[in-house]
Amino acid sequence: MAHMEAFLAATGLTKSFDSVQVVDSVSFTVRSQEIFGLLGPNGAGKTTTIRMLSTVLDPDDGDVNIGGHSVAKESDAVRRLIGVCPQELALYPELSATDNLVFFGRMAGLSGSQAKESAADVLERVGLTDRAKDAVRKYSGGMKRRVNIAIALMSRPQMLFLDEPTVGIDPQSRNHIFDTVLALRDEGMTVLYTTHYMEEADRLCDRIGIMDEGHIIALGTPAELKAQVGDADTTTLEEVFLSLTGRSLRD
Amino acid sequence: MVRPLLLALFEVKRFLADRGALAFSIALPILLFALMVGVFGGETSFNSTAHVADLDGGDAARKLIERIEDVDGLDVRRYTEAELNDALDRSAVLTGFVIPAGFTTALESGMPTTVRVKRRGNGGDAGQITAAIVQGVADGLASEYELRRALGTLVSDAIPPEQVEAHTGVLLGDARRDPPVRVVNQTLNEESEEEDILDRLLPGVIVMFLLFSVTLNAQTLIEERRNGTLERLLTTQLSTGQLFAGKFLAGVSRGMLQTIILLVLAFVVLRIAGLNALAQSAVLALVVSAAASAIALLIATVARTEDQATWGAVFITMFMTVFGGTFFPIGDSGVLELLSRFTLNRYAIDAYEGILGETATLGDATFEMALLGGVAVVCLIVARVLFRVSSEAK
Ligand SMILES: Nc1ncnc2c1ncn2[C@@H]1O[C@H](COP(=O)(O)OP(=O)(O)O)[C@@H](O)[C@H]1O
Ligand SMILES: [Mg+2]
Repeated sequence: MAHMEAFLAATGLTKSFDSVQVVDSVSFTVRSQEIFGLLGPNGAGKTTTIRMLSTVLDPDDGDVNIGGHSVAKESDAVRRLIGVCPQELALYPELSATDNLVFFGRMAGLSGSQAKESAADVLERVGLTDRAKDAVRKYSGGMKRRVNIAIALMSRPQMLFLDEPTVGIDPQSRNHIFDTVLALRDEGMTVLYTTHYMEEADRLCDRIGIMDEGHIIALGTPAELKAQVGDADTTTLEEVFLSLTGRSLRD
Repeated sequence: MVRPLLLALFEVKRFLADRGALAFSIALPILLFALMVGVFGGETSFNSTAHVADLDGGDAARKLIERIEDVDGLDVRRYTEAELNDALDRSAVLTGFVIPAGFTTALESGMPTTVRVKRRGNGGDAGQITAAIVQGVADGLASEYELRRALGTLVSDAIPPEQVEAHTGVLLGDARRDPPVRVVNQTLNEESEEEDILDRLLPGVIVMFLLFSVTLNAQTLIEERRNGTLERLLTTQLSTGQLFAGKFLAGVSRGMLQTIILLVLAFVVLRIAGLNALAQSAVLALVVSAAASAIALLIATVARTEDQATWGAVFITMFMTVFGGTFFPIGDSGVLELLSRFTLNRYAIDAYEGILGETATLGDATFEMALLGGVAVVCLIVARVLFRVSSEAK
């Protein structure tokens, strides 16, 4: 179960592109061993936030601390703690799943034999062991997504960033991914999960930050968020979003 | 510093997994080279067949045919008269030679005789040359018979004809084996443009395809920038500098691999040069690959889209290939020579040509290597300054 102390703390994160503020003074914490959801429509600023948290994009303002290390000043130490699964399929489709995994594992500092061992483990975990030698290009959309996640698991990170990991896939792969994420949390991993599917956040996340137009407009457990609007048992997150913004999340 | 090397090895693996890239960078240059050898010559000296119908069958006819066969580059094929006429009718043969019945008797008795040359149209270039050669051989043979006959009548009272025959036979044989006037071939390479282009063609094609395949790969770096693999690599333990170095080494390895495969093939199939020249060429290939890889990184850094990278690579490679003397000689002065100085190909081809032709060594190519290496260093520095993993990331 989630501990109370923060594993990740973001304070006042701000970023603009071409003088448009796409992330505006965003602050939140992710507790150790919880699944924290960033829920919001497309363009809300979720990906930009993840990029800043995961050391690849410098914020214009604000600060992030992960596992006791400053992202700005100790990015190497932070990188040793995190695994990142980007929104795009960031992999090499002409090569096999194993080749992809071993490569990213080695780039993450594993030795050759460690990387091979870890590749076999994570393939087992995402259920792709029997297709491990096939070129990823031949996989279904759902299987490619699972490889994308598996890569992030190669270095056995303490914290996992998953940016919309279930976009455009079949229900079976989606359920597989849910089970995987829940199991990882139960084994002690801290997870930051972004999605624009409210039922996904509801089902998976311990706590949720609802994001819209670069701001976090509400934060709490699913039950707490629903209780702000009505009866926690019958209200949906969709209704929470509607009452906060006057718009539907599905737009 | 192991990581850039690992990255480079991984890129080579990707290259080897990509059949299209392999076909483009290895099969296509072989094909182009073969085609161009076909266009520019291959057959550099005269080679033809004399189509002969011997209706005489006598001693003199046999000698004539033997002597035609002895001419360098000339073969004889025998026909019956009907076969020869038929082949001429079908234009399978453009020039045929008929040795008439009574040829030997006529020569032995000093009567005039003819070798008929049958032509279809003008008989073809090779046919005309063959006819001239046959004429020469027949003249020589006629002179010998004339000499024998004259000598025979002159001394026939004093010396028995068999003895005269034996002596003249030996003398004439000696004269044929060791002619008083020899015609000797001398090939003047510097002045022969056809020879020159063939010597330059192999390095030219190798350098051209090296540039093409390495610079066109710039496009995949843009693709990686777009699909997020570069940025993802930065969330591992890889630094931007290591990523840059890895991509550079990847281009170098790819270029080396491709060049060495082509050189070894040329070495095995064409029997050009020796092992030493091959080893020196490999060192040269390293420098050329480094220059190509640095240019590719510069293209990838400057271009915003994959299309821009592709066209940039095609333009640069085509310009350098055409004006670098791949397909035609540059000459010693003029606009072409001036343009060629702005190509890597010219220097690379010059250096390869010397080493593969075994007329020069790596040491003689110091200037070319320094220039290629300089281009590599300058492009690398500029590319490193401009290099970004994504449009706004570090
Ligand atoms: N590199 C960029 N340059 C300019 N605008 C960008 C860039 N990246 C994202 N944006 C803009 O920032 C906003 C937030 O994008 P993003 O963080 O991807 O949102 P989300 O992940 O929630 O869909 C969008 O309007 C998007 O168009
Ligand atoms: Mg996004």
